[in-house]
Amino acid sequence: MPDLAPLYDLAARLLPFEAMQARFMQQALVELILLAPMCAMMGVHVVSFRMAFFSDAISHSAFTGVALGLLIGADARLTMVGFALAVGLAIMAVSRRTLLSIDTVIGVFFSAVIAFGLAVVSRDRSVARNLQMFLYGDILTIGEAEIRLTAVLFVALMAFQTIGFNRLLYVGVNPSLAAAHRVPTRTYQYLFAALLSLVVIVSVWAVGVFLVTAMLIVPAASARNLARSASGMFWWALVVSVTSAVTGLLVSAQSWAGTATGATIVLCASVWFAGSAIVGGLRQGARR
Amino acid sequence: MSQPAVLFEDVSVAIGGVSILESVNASVPHGSATAIIGPNGAGKTTLLLAMLGQLPFDGRIRIARTPKGPARLGYVPQGLDFDRGIPMTVMDLMVIGPQRRPLWAGRSRRQRNLAMTLLGSVKAEPLAGRRLGALSGGELQRVLLALAIQRDPDILVLDEPSSGVDIAGENLLCELLDTLRAERGFTQVMVTHDLSLVTAHATDVICLNRRVMGQGPTEATLTAEVLAATFGIHLGVADLHPLPGCEHDEHGHRPDAHA
Repeated sequence: MPDLAPLYDLAARLLPFEAMQARFMQQALVELILLAPMCAMMGVHVVSFRMAFFSDAISHSAFTGVALGLLIGADARLTMVGFALAVGLAIMAVSRRTLLSIDTVIGVFFSAVIAFGLAVVSRDRSVARNLQMFLYGDILTIGEAEIRLTAVLFVALMAFQTIGFNRLLYVGVNPSLAAAHRVPTRTYQYLFAALLSLVVIVSVWAVGVFLVTAMLIVPAASARNLARSASGMFWWALVVSVTSAVTGLLVSAQSWAGTATGATIVLCASVWFAGSAIVGGLRQGARR
Repeated sequence: MSQPAVLFEDVSVAIGGVSILESVNASVPHGSATAIIGPNGAGKTTLLLAMLGQLPFDGRIRIARTPKGPARLGYVPQGLDFDRGIPMTVMDLMVIGPQRRPLWAGRSRRQRNLAMTLLGSVKAEPLAGRRLGALSGGELQRVLLALAIQRDPDILVLDEPSSGVDIAGENLLCELLDTLRAERGFTQVMVTHDLSLVTAHATDVICLNRRVMGQGPTEATLTAEVLAATFGIHLGVADLHPLPGCEHDEHGHRPDAHA
């Protein structure tokens, strides 16, 4: 296993603030530098596929995955990942085989997953106490194992975005048109669902169930307001996501702020969105 | 007589227990501009999607092979359903298919030049930098036509090409299709309920209302009886004379189209 200490030291040198001298802050920064681009890249496609609700369903499945792990005595992080992956692929499989719209299918899974989690928790009240950390997440307690796992996912996602970005964009514009142009739409839809499920679950560790969707959607939505082309949308989403993550981490560590890191990151991204909406509005006005 | 480009043999489609097509037997002559006509709900688009392999069906659809291998299909969908807010330009759409390099790493000069040539062939060069969501119905149809001929298709399939297009746009599309067909030699299969487009443009016709009500060369097939059987009303007053500038010779080509 490679030693991550030089990476943490680099993080401290790049951002020479007092708050960044603590090891847990350096670890949090490394995790966010890996996580934020992943959310931005996937968020661009989530918005194109109109699948914002999908990430909500997956993030809430984390709650059930953890409950299941605690109940059967397995590693809760493993059951959480496995359960999310199963739910993500099942949503995609059902939506491809039914005439129901995808948001209806996601809604059914969302409800079923929550109900299942509550049923598990109601059988054993002690389980509920362990679930709270997943509802709010805590980037400041992230460990080396999580960082390594996020790094592996980052590499896989970069490969996917390099090989499949154009095809995925095509499917997002119109699946029938993409299929007619020999894009294997089914393969890309399943791969996307699987990778998105993994990104959502890893994000739950950092920002919690409640804020995962915001990590995916807000940078992509801001990028839509600012970009003039598909590649512009990709790069703007990255800029918004990474700057929000770093700024949010630093601000939350200030004594005058004292806010939760995940929430502060999402607030920074929301400021970006407000600014981008103004720019987008001005541009539309100039066109008229 | 040459082998048909497409042969439908006993094709039936049922979706959710509802029969959409019943034992369709029809053929599309090689090199023709064949229109599939019928009222709403007749199964025209369903037949097209079955042909494109996007819908399961019973029966058989034979698509003739070419000397180079299986026939390549180009597809122009009906009024593309897409998110009009997506910041994607016409040039982006033209290159995402053939370009291997991810779009976020830039567009290759070669693909840009190829795209401009294709857009030029449908008189859409000035649209290259425009956002997809800002295109009019006629402009979008021409861009989709450029996209469809990108793969140099042997068979070009169009679903309601005049839907959402004004008269001028429809005439331009009609001219472009005739010119492209003459230049590239593809077979054209077009779904439409627009009889003026059929009489002006199609060399052959398949009249469909769940089943085939008639098929063959346009003028010989579109009799009052066949139209009544297809549309359920008397359409004998339909003017079957081609529009000025859209006449065809016996091979289905316009006299002024480039050879």
